[in-house]
Amino acid sequence: MDTILVAVAALSGTSLICGLTLVIADRFFALHEDARIEQITALLPGINCGGCGYAGCSDYAKAIASADAPLNLCAPGGIAVLQALCRFMGVESAEQEHRVAIVLCGGDDTKTVHRFRYNGVADCAAAASVAGGDKLCRYGCLGYGSCARVCPVNAIEIIPHRLAVVHPDLCIGCGRCVRACPRGIIKMIPAIRTIHVLCSSKDKGPVVKQACQVGCIGCTLCTKLAENEAIKMDGALAVVDYSKPLENEAVIEKCPSHCIVRIPASRHENHSCTLSA
Amino acid sequence: MKTIRAPYQPRGGVHPRYHKELSASAPIFRLPLLPLLRVSMSQHLGPPARPVVKKGDTVTRGQIIGEATGYVSAHVHAPTSGRVRGIVDALTPTGAYAPAVEIEPDGQDTWASTIQPCSHWEDLDPRELVRRVAEAGIVGMGGAGFPTHVKLSPPAEKPIRTLIINGAECEPYLTADHRLMVERAADICTGARIIRRILGGPRLWFAVEDNKPDAIAALEQALGAGGNEDVGIVRLKTKYPQGAEKQLIFAVCGLEVPTGGLPMDVGCLVENVATTLAVWDAVVNGRPLVERVVTVTGSAVARPANLLVRVGTTYADLLLHCGTNGPVAKIIAGGPMMGLAQPALEIGIAKTTSGLLLLPPDFVSVFTSVPCIGCGRCVGACPMRLLPSELSKLLEAEDYDGAEANHVMDCIECGCCAYMCPAHRPLVQHMKQGKARVIAKRAAKASRKTS
Amino acid sequence: MRSYLLLIISAVLVNNFVLTRYLGICPFLGVSKNISTAFGMGLAVIFVITSASAVTWLLQTFVLNPLHLGYMQTIVFILVIATFVQFVEFAVKKTSPALYKAMGIFLPLITTNCCVLAVAVLNIQMRHTLLQSVTFGFGASAGFALALLIFAGMREKIDRAAPPLAFRGTAIALVTAGLLGLAFMGFSGLVKM
Repeated sequence: MDTILVAVAALSGTSLICGLTLVIADRFFALHEDARIEQITALLPGINCGGCGYAGCSDYAKAIASADAPLNLCAPGGIAVLQALCRFMGVESAEQEHRVAIVLCGGDDTKTVHRFRYNGVADCAAAASVAGGDKLCRYGCLGYGSCARVCPVNAIEIIPHRLAVVHPDLCIGCGRCVRACPRGIIKMIPAIRTIHVLCSSKDKGPVVKQACQVGCIGCTLCTKLAENEAIKMDGALAVVDYSKPLENEAVIEKCPSHCIVRIPASRHENHSCTLSA
Repeated sequence: MKTIRAPYQPRGGVHPRYHKELSASAPIFRLPLLPLLRVSMSQHLGPPARPVVKKGDTVTRGQIIGEATGYVSAHVHAPTSGRVRGIVDALTPTGAYAPAVEIEPDGQDTWASTIQPCSHWEDLDPRELVRRVAEAGIVGMGGAGFPTHVKLSPPAEKPIRTLIINGAECEPYLTADHRLMVERAADICTGARIIRRILGGPRLWFAVEDNKPDAIAALEQALGAGGNEDVGIVRLKTKYPQGAEKQLIFAVCGLEVPTGGLPMDVGCLVENVATTLAVWDAVVNGRPLVERVVTVTGSAVARPANLLVRVGTTYADLLLHCGTNGPVAKIIAGGPMMGLAQPALEIGIAKTTSGLLLLPPDFVSVFTSVPCIGCGRCVGACPMRLLPSELSKLLEAEDYDGAEANHVMDCIECGCCAYMCPAHRPLVQHMKQGKARVIAKRAAKASRKTS
Repeated sequence: MRSYLLLIISAVLVNNFVLTRYLGICPFLGVSKNISTAFGMGLAVIFVITSASAVTWLLQTFVLNPLHLGYMQTIVFILVIATFVQFVEFAVKKTSPALYKAMGIFLPLITTNCCVLAVAVLNIQMRHTLLQSVTFGFGASAGFALALLIFAGMREKIDRAAPPLAFRGTAIALVTAGLLGLAFMGFSGLVKM
């Protein structure tokens, strides 16, 4: 009996001292950090894609906690995260338009002319800096997959014959591919849109025709068919104005180069949430 | 005046087959004027020049058609008299696009009235000499294209004690500088003396590789046996890249340019022989830089030659003169080690184009690269004492901070590592990409600091 | 003095706790992906083992032995070690949140690191004095940190060198660890302890 008591006493005594040490240490090492930052970080998706413009999810959380940043910057999080953030910060309503990426080029190897054979690093930035890229069109997609490699959710596929294509359903809208493309032909567009001009070439019609079978030749037919100036000309290139609605499918059929296409919309919807008080 | 063997030996380097016999004995031939010249506004390091003529204007030879924009920039002059056909967006040898002035020669080749020869350059103030160099649009003709008037204006706290005229021409195939030294030795020496006067009288060395004994003899004759102790000729051991600036300074002076530094940090300055000749022409004859010697060579060329051509002459026109014998697989502007493969024949010769190399299919290898096998050949070959194998692995893994820490910015892109690599890794391309990313990173950091 | 030096050499090189005694393999493989994390882990372990060696020796000598509670050794030692580890956790979280996140679960797992308990128990078994215990503890942890740093450096380079697909990750790491252990066998017989 004695032995057991001694044992228990010894262990208890040691534990007590250890515990006291830790309590003191906790006070000494206390972190004066806004407790909300950790809570907000937990609400965010945690993939650190940088789409919000901050260095990572915890960085964005810090900005939110110090009321420096709007709540709707997290594209991958979508409506779920927006609602959670609104609830947490006590904000009544916020809007966020879901955007996905699109590669504005339709010229794979079978449709384009090449100036030379490129033999080097299979990276778009590297290929673009060697004699200006092997495609005759200096605006076209090089198809070496730099965008696909940075996509955190593998939403970009390099289809056979070297062309990058974004799958809108998988795209979370983080924007990393936009930054990775050395030609700058990936753009963020509203997820609900379906009609697109798949060309970025600013060259004039005859030059484009020499370089690519599906390039915009600047015939301006689509600008006349599209309602209320939803397609405008930027020099010799037709550009869709995504702030205006565009429903007329005639632009797709009438385009002589077949560079206007219909891509099924992403199933994600525009987000706006309003919290009832 | 004496001729000495190079006292120091830079480390690393390779000994490729030179093939210089294809054109080394071909005297410089002045190419007659052709129907069109496409003069690019971007023929130098720094922002492109701004065109100051428009379509339909008449120009005379030596008239400024593009003004320098900023301090590190250079003027561009009309290579001949004629009519401006237009200003176009044209390809440059690097593959980038830049504005170019297209000129149709009128055949008269009239010099502009602004040309002012000078017979007593020894009496001119050095600053006036530099002004003439700047007005002439002279840039480093060895390939870098750095505006010469900027190079000849080092800050007062960095005095130049040694001036080296670079006649090494270490790149295989190229013989333009070689022929210049053989045929124009006297004028090159005068040009060197002019530069020496600009810099305040440093020690002057002419550096030539020992595979050019006739060039050395010509320079010896031009300099005379005189007792000027401050002038001499250095006979360099033939090795690539002996002619690279930093390696040359080491071979002649035994000094190492510090990492991230410039030759003026060790009191040295290097000028190419063609640039030196251009300086002579600008000061003595008042003529701007509008033409240069280009070696058109390679086994696919029917008649290899050293052609004196106007800036803006297209590659196609050069080939009309030299002809091809058989299929051409690759066209390189410059030499095979550091030159750039060209995507089109309508690109115009720039002030920095020292050669046009046409290679047949059996001289061109198409390779598939494999991961680094760790053989270390690249480390032995690197003249800058870098670890190319480590750098290429870091750059493949996109670790640009690691690459910066391993001195990727000191790479001179000479190609020795890629030449030696048994795994056929595209090492120089990795280095170029890495350097571009490090520069972008530094610029982003600088702008974040100021914002 | 000489015996203390021999003690350290023996613990760091000859009988390295990771590469010769095969203890503490869990953080050895888990935290060695890059050098900065490995360095942080090494420092944490040095602190834990050295201080734990002292305190456990004191507890053994002044509490467990007089009260004939030798059978309580394991529990009491683990208690002390856990306290020190928690202490280190607080310190790391405060001074370097990045390192804290990088180390992840391996920081609290130092508690269950067999290396730490082994040092504490060996000190008692080998009948060290207090000073000898602390020296041995310091040496053992320094040896652990050394092995960890060397291995992290090697792993960083090997990961970049594109090993065959089947070998990537843990497989090549284990092969490397084995070779490193083989290399350290060269120290055997250097010091007779």
